[in-house]
Amino acid sequence: MAAGLAHPLTYSVILDQQLGLHLPPHVYYMWLAMIILFSCGFILRGRLQLVPGGLQNLFETVIGGLEDFVVLNIGEEGRKVFPFLCAMFIFILVMNYIGLIPGCDAATANVNTNAAMALSVFVYYNFIGIKKWGFGYIKHFMGPVIFLAPLMLILEIVSHLARPLSLTLRLFGNIRGEEIVLVLLFILAPVLGTLPMYFLFILGKTIQAFIFFMLTMIYLKGSLEHAH
Amino acid sequence: MFFFKRDKPSEALVLFGNVATIGMQLVVATFIGLAMGYYLDEWLGTQPWLLIIFLLLGIITGFRDVYREAMRLQRGADAQSSGPGSGPDGDDAKGGSGRQGK
Repeated sequence: MAAGLAHPLTYSVILDQQLGLHLPPHVYYMWLAMIILFSCGFILRGRLQLVPGGLQNLFETVIGGLEDFVVLNIGEEGRKVFPFLCAMFIFILVMNYIGLIPGCDAATANVNTNAAMALSVFVYYNFIGIKKWGFGYIKHFMGPVIFLAPLMLILEIVSHLARPLSLTLRLFGNIRGEEIVLVLLFILAPVLGTLPMYFLFILGKTIQAFIFFMLTMIYLKGSLEHAH
Repeated sequence: MFFFKRDKPSEALVLFGNVATIGMQLVVATFIGLAMGYYLDEWLGTQPWLLIIFLLLGIITGFRDVYREAMRLQRGADAQSSGPGSGPDGDDAKGGSGRQGK
């Protein structure tokens, strides 16, 4: 549920009172997402099978599909950066879905979570670009014509700085908006009003996680391919 | 899973994802340009000029990014429509046989 609307009582508030740590709610829900993913990982690692079933099947579908998608778009080099991309997608997806549980809040409905992720994306794709091209990475910022280079440099810097900001605000705006709509509809018509919205918001939250993943992939592609 | 058909992200997901990214870029680039101009002005003491110049540069960047994104989508659509096993050949064959039947 959306924090800030007349202090809704979420599980994290109760937990915070018990622990006395004075941490904001989104930290607890991020930890919850981490616990879910880590335990999934440990359970699956313990009993990997050649013929997958149940949970392993689900993860193989998602991860295999995403890997094909990345390799199709970036090329074989995409396999090197795929772990980062896939971790981003699944982590954001789980955090988004946690917001749909009654009494929970999505960790991505807070700007700080998204800003941290967007900044790590920004640092990562520039790091990959510098690692691959060395000093020649600056050619990515210069454009095709040499006498326009100073202008293109400024334009590219503005464009690159806009990337983490737009990643942050898009994810935050969509998820926070969905949480607020859920709370408002719950006030209007307790269960009947919210139930249909769940189908829409499952779609919306998946799309938002996928957009974050896809944009990260496009940025990485831009820093990996040859400057033109 | 619903969003992954035949071990691929479903087409709706990719399409929605691509389209939903375009609008934000325009606004955010403008604001980044504005902020850069404002703080450069404060630093260098050239009050209105750098703000105006960088605001214009930000707007230009926003439009250029949207144009690039649209071109990328167009290329993707072209590649898909000229892909294997699709397109006008099948339709033509059907239409031809239909006309022959008549």
